[in-house]
Amino acid sequence: MKLIKLLVISSILLITGCATTVPVTAKFPDAPILILEKCPQLKKIDGENVSIVDFTKTVTLNYTTYYECAVKNDAWIEWYQIQKKIFEEIKGD
Amino acid sequence: MWLMDFLPNWIFHAILIVGVLGLISSFILNFIPSFKLYHLPIQVLSVLLIAVGVWFQGAMSNQAEWEAKVAEMQVKVAEAEAKSQEENVKIITKTVKKLELVRTKGQDIINYVDREVVKDREVVKFVENCPIPQIIINTHNAAALNQPIEANK
Repeated sequence: MKLIKLLVISSILLITGCATTVPVTAKFPDAPILILEKCPQLKKIDGENVSIVDFTKTVTLNYTTYYECAVKNDAWIEWYQIQKKIFEEIKGD
Repeated sequence: MWLMDFLPNWIFHAILIVGVLGLISSFILNFIPSFKLYHLPIQVLSVLLIAVGVWFQGAMSNQAEWEAKVAEMQVKVAEAEAKSQEENVKIITKTVKKLELVRTKGQDIINYVDREVVKDREVVKFVENCPIPQIIINTHNAAALNQPIEANK
C-alpha cells in the first residue's frame, strides 16, 4: 500500500515536467498616428450666387483632399503588408 | 519545471551518481555474507534513483534546449521590433513627403485660379452673366457629402 502511494506521488512529481511554457510573444506593432487619421469630409459649396471660380476652387480643394486621403490609405496598406511580413518572419522560423 | 527551478542541478547529477554507485555496491555486497541481507533493498533503491536521475538528466537537457529557444526567440523579437520601427520611420517620411506634394499641387492650382483664371476674359464674362444654377450646386454638395440629392435641395 505504501509502495502504491509512493508511486502515485512520484508520478505526480514527474508529470509536472510536462508543464513548460514559452514566455516570449511578439506583439503586433501599433500603426503610426499619421496614417490612422480619418479622411476629412469633402467641402460643399455654400451660398446662392456662386461663381464658376469659387466652384472650381472648391472642386480643386476636394480633389486635393481625395489625393491626401489616397496617400494615407496607400501608406496604410504598405505599412500593414510590411509589418505582417516582419511578424510572419518571426512566427515562420 | 518548478522542481528544477527550486533545486540546483548538481542534486540531480548526485541522484544519478548515488544510484549508479548503489547499484555497483549492491553487486559487491552480494558477495559479502554479513551484508547479503541488504543486497536487494539497496539494489531496488539504486534502480529507482537511477530512473529518477536519468529522467532529470533528460528534463535538464530539455530545459536547456527550451531556454536556448527562448533566448533565440527574444533576439528575433527584438530584431523584428527594431526593423518594424525602421520601416515605420521610412513609411512616415515617405507619406509626409507625398502629402506635402499633394497639398502643394492643390495649392498651386488654387493660386492659378486666383491669379490667372479670374482674369481670363471668357471667365470674367461668364461670371458676370452666368451664376452657377442652384441645381448644380446641390448636386455637387450631394456628391461631396455622399448624400442623396433630395437631402441637399
